Amino acid sequence: MDYVDLVFLIMGISALTSVLFTFLTIRTKDLMYAVVFSSVQSVAYALIYFLLLAPDIVLVYVAVAVGIYPLIIILLVKKVGRYEVMT
Amino acid sequence: MLRDFIFVSLLVIIILALTYLTYSGGLGDLPPQDVRVIASNYLNLTYNQGITWLWTASPEAVTAIVWDYRGLDTLFETVVFYGAILAALTLFRSVSKIPEFVGGVGLSLVVKRVTAIVTLAILTVAASTALHGHLTPGGGFQGGAIASVAPLLLLVVFGKQFFIERRISYSKLLTIRNASLALLGFTSVALLILGFLTGAQGYIFQNQAKTISTLSYPPYLLDVPLGGSLFFYNLFEFLAVASGFTLVFTILLSRDETLRKELEGEELGY
Repeated sequence: MDYVDLVFLIMGISALTSVLFTFLTIRTKDLMYAVVFSSVQSVAYALIYFLLLAPDIVLVYVAVAVGIYPLIIILLVKKVGRYEVMT
Repeated sequence: MLRDFIFVSLLVIIILALTYLTYSGGLGDLPPQDVRVIASNYLNLTYNQGITWLWTASPEAVTAIVWDYRGLDTLFETVVFYGAILAALTLFRSVSKIPEFVGGVGLSLVVKRVTAIVTLAILTVAASTALHGHLTPGGGFQGGAIASVAPLLLLVVFGKQFFIERRISYSKLLTIRNASLALLGFTSVALLILGFLTGAQGYIFQNQAKTISTLSYPPYLLDVPLGGSLFFYNLFEFLAVASGFTLVFTILLSRDETLRKELEGEELGY
């Protein structure tokens, strides 16, 4: 296995991780957990961007996806309640 | 349960389909073996000291494309972003006039100390990202987005009173944002105006001297590449993005009653 294969393998694992955490984000009833899962998915995407040699995107993506976006969602969760009600 | 099963099977099918597509060569060679002509031109010219009538004086090709070769595209992109911020500010325009609630004391001492240290680190990284945008990956928007996390943390951990005591007011932030935007616009037409005044040839979004025009931003500061106008675009974009985001956070973190009052009448379409 050469270097390029390794890079593609890590990208594949990150992509699968992001799918798993997207699934958890959609399924969980606790919206605070959903925010955390969504952030983990964003970190996996940031790793993929980095391996695709796009450091400019990584810099803004990490700040927005791990800092700004969770805050706005948490503010929203604070206003609408933490647990999703089953109907 | 059945819904979960269908959902998971769909996900697996999509993943397998994409894997098959990639493996069978649907996306071409991975990684691509050749560089397109336009890309190789950008890479060859951006810091080519032999062809200074086509260079940007910046070794960072991405920033060179974003703010010089395709500068007008970025200008309109910036307009869209500030339009969105402007809409948020207009919607909650009277929040700035309502007296602030100053009862909050913030979180515990431990959290405050840790946040103080982290804030310093965030601001340092942000400044380095923005001011070295023409040398290393990063730029004004990236630096501004990173920097805006710092006031956000301060607002949550120290409370709004921290800002009021230090006289960091809504109108001051708005002034910084407007001034940065105005200077950003001025940077794009500065050489054109200089051309009008001196009778020389100049054009909009000019950075370095061309064959038809001798006007130019300085390519070097001492012996470090400055990237001409790229440094100034990054600097003003950094200030504008950081202050714009901070303004929106200040509004979002206002008291619930204040915000609800703003949105009264919404169901009647104002």
